[in-house]
Amino acid sequence: MSGNIYSKPVTFAVMATVAVLVGTVATMAYPLLRPDMHVKVAGLKPLPALELAGRDVYQREGCVNCHTQTVRPLKSEVVRYLGNRAQEPTARYSLAGEFAYDHPFLWGSKRTGPDLAFEGWIKPSAAWQKEHLENPQKLVARSNMPAYAFLNGEKVDGEAVQASMRALRRVGVPYTDDDVAGAPQAVQGKTTMDALVAYVLSLGKAVNRGGAGGGEIDLALANPLAHSVEAVVRGKQLFEANGCGACHGDEAKGQEGVAPSLIDDEFGGVKGDLPDAAYFVMIKGGSDAKKALGRPGVPDGGMQAFGSDLKDEDIWAIVSWLRNQKGHEAAEGKHEAAEHPKDGK
Amino acid sequence: MSDYRYDNQTVQGFILSAIFWGVVGILLGLLISVQLWAPALNFPPYLTYGRLRPVHTNGLAFGLGVGAIFGLSYWIVMRLCKRPLLFPKLARVQLWLFNVGIAAAAVSLAMGYTQSLEYAELEWPLDIAIVVLWVMFAVNVFGTIIKRNEEQMYVSLWYIIATVVAVAVLYLVNNLSVPAGWMKSYHLFAGVNSANVEWWYGHNAVGFVFTTPILAMFYYFLPKATGLPIFSHRLSIVAFWSLVFAYLWTGAHHLVYTPLPDWLQTLGIVFTLFLIAPSWGSVVNGYYTVGQDWSKMRSNYLTKFFVLGITFYGLQTVQGPTQALRVVSQLIHYTDWVPGHVHMGTMGWVTMTVCASIYYVIPKIYGTEIYSEKIANVHFWLVLVGQLLFSITMWITGIRQGWMWKATDAEGKLVYRNFVDTIAGNYPYWHTRTLAGIIFAVGMVFFVFNVLMTIRKGRALERSESSAAPAAVTAA
Repeated sequence: MSGNIYSKPVTFAVMATVAVLVGTVATMAYPLLRPDMHVKVAGLKPLPALELAGRDVYQREGCVNCHTQTVRPLKSEVVRYLGNRAQEPTARYSLAGEFAYDHPFLWGSKRTGPDLAFEGWIKPSAAWQKEHLENPQKLVARSNMPAYAFLNGEKVDGEAVQASMRALRRVGVPYTDDDVAGAPQAVQGKTTMDALVAYVLSLGKAVNRGGAGGGEIDLALANPLAHSVEAVVRGKQLFEANGCGACHGDEAKGQEGVAPSLIDDEFGGVKGDLPDAAYFVMIKGGSDAKKALGRPGVPDGGMQAFGSDLKDEDIWAIVSWLRNQKGHEAAEGKHEAAEHPKDGK
Repeated sequence: MSDYRYDNQTVQGFILSAIFWGVVGILLGLLISVQLWAPALNFPPYLTYGRLRPVHTNGLAFGLGVGAIFGLSYWIVMRLCKRPLLFPKLARVQLWLFNVGIAAAAVSLAMGYTQSLEYAELEWPLDIAIVVLWVMFAVNVFGTIIKRNEEQMYVSLWYIIATVVAVAVLYLVNNLSVPAGWMKSYHLFAGVNSANVEWWYGHNAVGFVFTTPILAMFYYFLPKATGLPIFSHRLSIVAFWSLVFAYLWTGAHHLVYTPLPDWLQTLGIVFTLFLIAPSWGSVVNGYYTVGQDWSKMRSNYLTKFFVLGITFYGLQTVQGPTQALRVVSQLIHYTDWVPGHVHMGTMGWVTMTVCASIYYVIPKIYGTEIYSEKIANVHFWLVLVGQLLFSITMWITGIRQGWMWKATDAEGKLVYRNFVDTIAGNYPYWHTRTLAGIIFAVGMVFFVFNVLMTIRKGRALERSESSAAPAAVTAA
C-alpha cells in the first residue's frame, strides 16, 4: 500500500517532524528574518523605569485577560478609540512599529473591558486612572472590573526594575547604563499603583495621535452661538457623545479627585470665572492651554485636546451648554436659598 | 497479564490525577464565570479574575488534558505494541513529577508569576519541569514503540508520535525567554514577532494537545468499545498527513486585523480553510465506522460519547475556519463568541472522548465492568446540555456585543459610545453561562463517582481473587 513507513517508527517520526516543520519555517521562522516584521516608529523609546515597573504589574495582575491593546483598522473601532483625532491617517489604528520593544506583546485576545492601546490619549488623567483602579464601580457603575486598591500599599522595588532592564537589554531593548543606574531613584517611594497608572498613560503615546493645539489665545473672542437655544441642546449632546461626563460627571458638576466642575465659579484652580473664550481654548487645546491662561489647575493636568476632533462651532456649542448649566445652577441655588433662608446659602 | 499490572497502575494514576486537576479546573471555571458578573467576588491579590483565568485554562489543558494524554497514550501504546512500557519506573517518576509540577504551576499563577503568553503563562523554572516531563514521555513512547511486538503501527500511534514531536518544537520555541529573576522573564521576541510566535504556538497547542492525541484515543477506543473496525485506513492516512502538515500554518488567524503584516494573516486564513478537509476526514471516518452498525448507539453506552465527541469536533473545525475569515473575524473577534467556540471543543469533543476512553480503560484494568451504565448516561446528558447551553449563549452574546461595538448612525457616530453599555447586555448571558457550567460540573460529578466506584469494585474483586489464589495452589 502506501509504503512501509508505518512499520518503521524512526523514519515515520522523521517524516512527521518534517511535516510540522514546513509550516513552522514558513509562518514562524521565516517572518523573523523579514524587514516588515522589524519595523519601528520614529523616535520609539524604551519605557522609563516607572512605566516599566507598571508594565510588570499589568502582566502580574493578568490585565491582558480582559483588555486588548490593538485598535484594528475598522471604521467603528477607530472612532470608538478616538483614532479619528489623529491627523495622520496611519496613526488612527495600532501600528506594528509601536511594539518593537514589547517583550512580550500584550495585545490580548478578549475584550471584556475596553481596548487600552490608545488609553494615554483617551483618558490622560492620572487622577481618573488611579481612582478607577481603586474602585471601578464608583466611576463606572455597571463595570465588572475587580478593584485594585491594594496596589496603593505596595512599593516598587528599584532593584527588580534594574534586573528587568538588564534582562530586556539582553533581548535588544536599548536601555543605557544610566537608565539602569537611575532606575531605583526614578521609582523611589512610588507605589505599584503609581507605576501601573504611569504605564497605562504611556499606551499609544509612541505615535502622535493628538489633536491640533489650542491655537492663538484670544480671550476677547465672543461665543458666536451665545444665547442660542439650539446650540445649548446640541452642546449637551456633544458633551455626552464625546464622553466628557466620564471625568467631569454627567451634569458637568465634576467628580471629587478626578476632574473639576465646569459650572462653579472656579476656573483652573483659581476662584473667579473667565470669559467663554477660556472654556473654548481649554476644550480645543487641552491642559496645555492652561499655561497660556495663567491658571495652574491640576498640576500634571488630564484634559485632552479636542481640537482636531471637534469643529470650532461644536466646541462653542458645548461652551454654550456649560454656560447655560452654570446660569441654571446659580439660579437654582438662589431659589433654594430663598426657600430655606436658614441654610445660609 | 501480570506484566502489565505495574504499568496499568501508572495509567490509572495519570487518569486519577487528570480527574483531580479536572475538578479543580472546573471549579475555578465556575468561580471566574461568577466573577464576570459579580466583581465583588474578586479577592485580591490572589483570587482575582486576571490571575485565576490562567489557572483555569492551564489546570484543564495541562492538568486534565495532558494528564489524560499521558495515561491513555501509555495504555494505547502498550496495547498496540503488544508489550509493557520499556521504562515502567520512569513512567512512575513522571507521574509524581507531573502532579508536583501542576500544583506548583497553579500556585505560581495565582501568585502572579506569568509570562502573559496565552497557554504558555508558566514562568521559566516550570517550563523546564514541563520539558523534563515531556522528554520522559517521549523516551517511553519511542522506546516502547521501537521495541514493539507488532509489525505495523496503527493510526493511533501515528497521532501519538506527531503529538510528541510537535509539542516539543512548539513548547521549546515559544518559551524562549530571558530571565530577570527566579520567577520573571521576558519573551525573546518583541511586538509583532512575539505575537506571531505566540499564536503559532497557541493555535498548535490546540492542534497537538486538544486534537491529535484525542484523535489517537478516538481511533483506538471507538473500535475497541464498539467492536467495529475503522471504516477506511486509506482515509486515515490522507487525513493524518494533511492535518499535521497544514496545522502549523494557521496561527496567524488569531491575529486578523492586528498590526501583523497582511500577507501573513492571509496565509494563515487560507491554510485554516484547508484544514476543514483533514478534520472532516476523521469525522467522516468516525461516522462511517459507527455507520456499519448504528444499533451500537443503543446497545453500547460508550458509542454515543464518541459519536457526539466527533460531531463537536466536526462542528468545531467548520466554525473555526469560518471565524478566520476577515468578514467574520471583524465582528466576533475579542467577543464572547470565542470562549463559546473554545468550550465546544473542550467540553464537547475533548471531554466526551476522554471520559469515554476512561470509562473503557478503568474496568479493563480490573477485568470487570463499569459500576453503572445508568450513571454514565446521566453524566452524558448533563455534560451535553451544559456544553450546548454554554456555547450557544456565548455565541449569541458575542454577536450581540460585536454588533453593538460596530453600530453607527447615519452620521457615522457610534450608537453605543459608552463601552459599558455593551457590557451590560452581557450580564444575563453570563448568568446563563454560570448555570451551564453548574450543569456540566454536576455531570462531571456523576462521572467521577462512577470511575471511583468502578475502581472500588475492581479492587474488591482483586482482593477476593488473591485470597482465592493460594487456595487454588494448595488444591493443585
